[in-house]
Amino acid sequence: MFPRQLENVLLKVQKPGRYTGGELNSVLKDKSKVDIRFAFCFPDTYEIGMSHLGMKILYSLINEREDAWCERVFAPASDMEEQMRALNVPLYGLESGDAVKDFDFIAFTMMYELCYTNILNMLSLAGVPLRSSERKNLSPLVIGGGACACNIEPMADFFDFVTLGDGEEVTNEVIDLYKIHKAKGSTKQEFLEEAAKIPGVYVPSLYDIQYNFDGTVKAIVPKNGAPEKVVKRTVRNLDTMFAPSTFVVPFIEVVHDRTTVETFRGCIRGCRFCQACFLYRPIREKSPEIVEKQCRAIYESTGYDEISLCSLSTSDYTGLEKLLNSMLDWTIPEKINVALPSLRADNFPEELMKKLASVRRSGLTFAPEAGTQRLRDVINKNITEQEVLSTASLAFKGGWTAVKLYFMMGLPTETDEDIEGIAKLAQAVVDEYYNNPDKPKGRGVNVSVSVATLVPKPFTPFQWEPMITPDETKEKQAKLLSFVHSKKISVSMHNSQTSFLEGVFARGDRRLSQVIETAWRHGCKFDSWDDSLKFDTWMQCFEECGIDPYFYTARKREFEEVLPWDHMDYGVTKQFFIRENKRAHEGVTTPCCREKCAGCGAAAINGGECSEIRKSVV
Amino acid sequence: MRSVRVWFKKTGTAIYISHLDMNRCLSRAVVRAKLPLWYTEGFNPKPYLNFLCPLPLGQEGLNEPLDIRIEGEMTNEEVRSSLCAVMPQGIEITAVTDPIMKTAQITSAQYSINLLFGSEGTASAFSHTADEIIKSGELVAEKRSKRGTKTVNLCEMITAFEIEAEGSLAKIQTVTATGSASNLNPDLVVTALIEKTGLEPVSRSISRTRLFIEKGEAFC
Repeated sequence: MFPRQLENVLLKVQKPGRYTGGELNSVLKDKSKVDIRFAFCFPDTYEIGMSHLGMKILYSLINEREDAWCERVFAPASDMEEQMRALNVPLYGLESGDAVKDFDFIAFTMMYELCYTNILNMLSLAGVPLRSSERKNLSPLVIGGGACACNIEPMADFFDFVTLGDGEEVTNEVIDLYKIHKAKGSTKQEFLEEAAKIPGVYVPSLYDIQYNFDGTVKAIVPKNGAPEKVVKRTVRNLDTMFAPSTFVVPFIEVVHDRTTVETFRGCIRGCRFCQACFLYRPIREKSPEIVEKQCRAIYESTGYDEISLCSLSTSDYTGLEKLLNSMLDWTIPEKINVALPSLRADNFPEELMKKLASVRRSGLTFAPEAGTQRLRDVINKNITEQEVLSTASLAFKGGWTAVKLYFMMGLPTETDEDIEGIAKLAQAVVDEYYNNPDKPKGRGVNVSVSVATLVPKPFTPFQWEPMITPDETKEKQAKLLSFVHSKKISVSMHNSQTSFLEGVFARGDRRLSQVIETAWRHGCKFDSWDDSLKFDTWMQCFEECGIDPYFYTARKREFEEVLPWDHMDYGVTKQFFIRENKRAHEGVTTPCCREKCAGCGAAAINGGECSEIRKSVV
Repeated sequence: MRSVRVWFKKTGTAIYISHLDMNRCLSRAVVRAKLPLWYTEGFNPKPYLNFLCPLPLGQEGLNEPLDIRIEGEMTNEEVRSSLCAVMPQGIEITAVTDPIMKTAQITSAQYSINLLFGSEGTASAFSHTADEIIKSGELVAEKRSKRGTKTVNLCEMITAFEIEAEGSLAKIQTVTATGSASNLNPDLVVTALIEKTGLEPVSRSISRTRLFIEKGEAFC
């Protein structure tokens, strides 16, 4: 539902279906019968947020509780924001239409650093003070989670607490604790100090940060009994872990509008740039039977014509063949397309590929990430040019005519030769098509190359590496284009300014809170959308706050430096990251976990358990 | 394979679902209902759905027809009860029938319109003037179509028009041209009348109540 005052404006804004609620499977409750109101906020538009699996999981999980009601909240687009501000309609939950400022929790999921100004904008639209210290009452509590929680320091002043790692267990623990404190009328401080004792809960205000003269962090000092290290949460058994049996079905078209079920968490590959790989370790697999059951339940209650089997690298799922063989028996007759994102095509059986394509043919994507074998060894992306070409060849034989290739630039040790290698590899795929006697008749090939800029992230072996400047990025991008000579190759590249800001906040510290607030006050929001990014304003704000953004991106950090996120423990040890960083610079690869355990240390926070370790012992 | 005609109501928050989104929404509903669907042939098989007379965004519909195609044995009543169980809020199945008439036969539709004014005085002044304008037989407005914008006399596409004030409400019952040959969105009539009278309502709501073929016979 939406507030009555909006009735007359809904037809004046783009896509009113974003703001009405009332979608199939959305959960309505009697508010007089629940103790806890929980606003699950996604700091981007409805279309992006409704594609996010984490939100669907926690929405269902909280709504399973009789004592709590979880509602969805998205960032209104500018036209709607204008109307809401003009009519004084505060940010509301889509289920009840009630103002979120009266809720117990205002929770944000953070997948991306460039959503930070949207969070401030949503708090302001809600009519809630931005800073944790300005919100004196127990509620609303402004909390967060998601990948960016691993270094929430740039947003530390605004959040009351964030949770690290898997949310399935800790969310309920936090709600339970809050309920007790609400009933006995505790102060916010009393509650936060107790909450900090729940494993995985990080309360930024319980830590003092001391700095060196050169601006680096000197020490991180916990106070009032807060733990020295906050250890991320991992759910040990994915088969018994909560998973949603239905999804809210949006009326308007959203980015990913389909059944999505996880097959496993973590990744065995260990690519050195990839944060997700290390944040979600250790490897924990779900049984194929459970995955299939969950897919079926969501399909039947939504009517979606696509199922996505999701993980960080789906072809590494040991149950994949078993799952597909059983599932395709009903998905093909019911005209359901099964999509395997993040599929490494190197060892995928041809027979299965044909079956998968029998309903609707989806795209074919490879991620070589670097243009030469030398650089692929540096980043530990163990895929060879021959593997890419032979899989592409198979696909062309099977009727595919479009291939997507993902690359990065700005990788450590990168030279012009590596940039040229990107164009060469793309050209080799084009040539492979035309040299293929079995290619589809009378059709051309289309190779789209997508090139991102490396943003070194916390909890990766590259967390100490300098990032290239926007000018260097543009230079490399121009160079790449000069190497491309075929019209069959289309190149798209990330905005260098967006990547730069992402780089600043990814490895930033608390002093950036002030910059983010200043930028928001100067009208910055939706920074990840190229058409609304105000880069010059951002640069002025850095200057106004006396902060040099290049301090966070361009500097090579020493292994000894105290990192702003050193009080977070994601299981994988710093010694492992240092070892991997050194191997990168030596150009030495590390075998994937299935071949040989590299001793990353993640199993320790999971009771010593990791699917891969168990396998190598057996 | 046979076609069945599904009659539905679209009310409440569902009026904000655009035609394109309705298509997606109902495609999923027929899957959830486990109907023995006939799928379109081609690279992207989809259940066959044909909304005979799409409703503009923001308007309510009380008797809207949708044709779908099924295979195998299933009675109209079985189709109805399976569909009823899976519909989202605001879309309600009222009946399932055999398709008797063809889409092209639709010529007009009846609309019931409520305009809420700031005061009783404005409502009655509006009703009075609007009635006179329509009776005069001339209400000229710019009308957009696929072939560009034209200036037309809307009255030529209005076959019935009644208006009365009830408190601060002006209530209109009207029948306007609808269908592929000639089509007049009643919202355009309302907007033209507002412009002519200079009296702006606080809010408006439009509801399509019935579809007609020639000579005012009900479409079925």
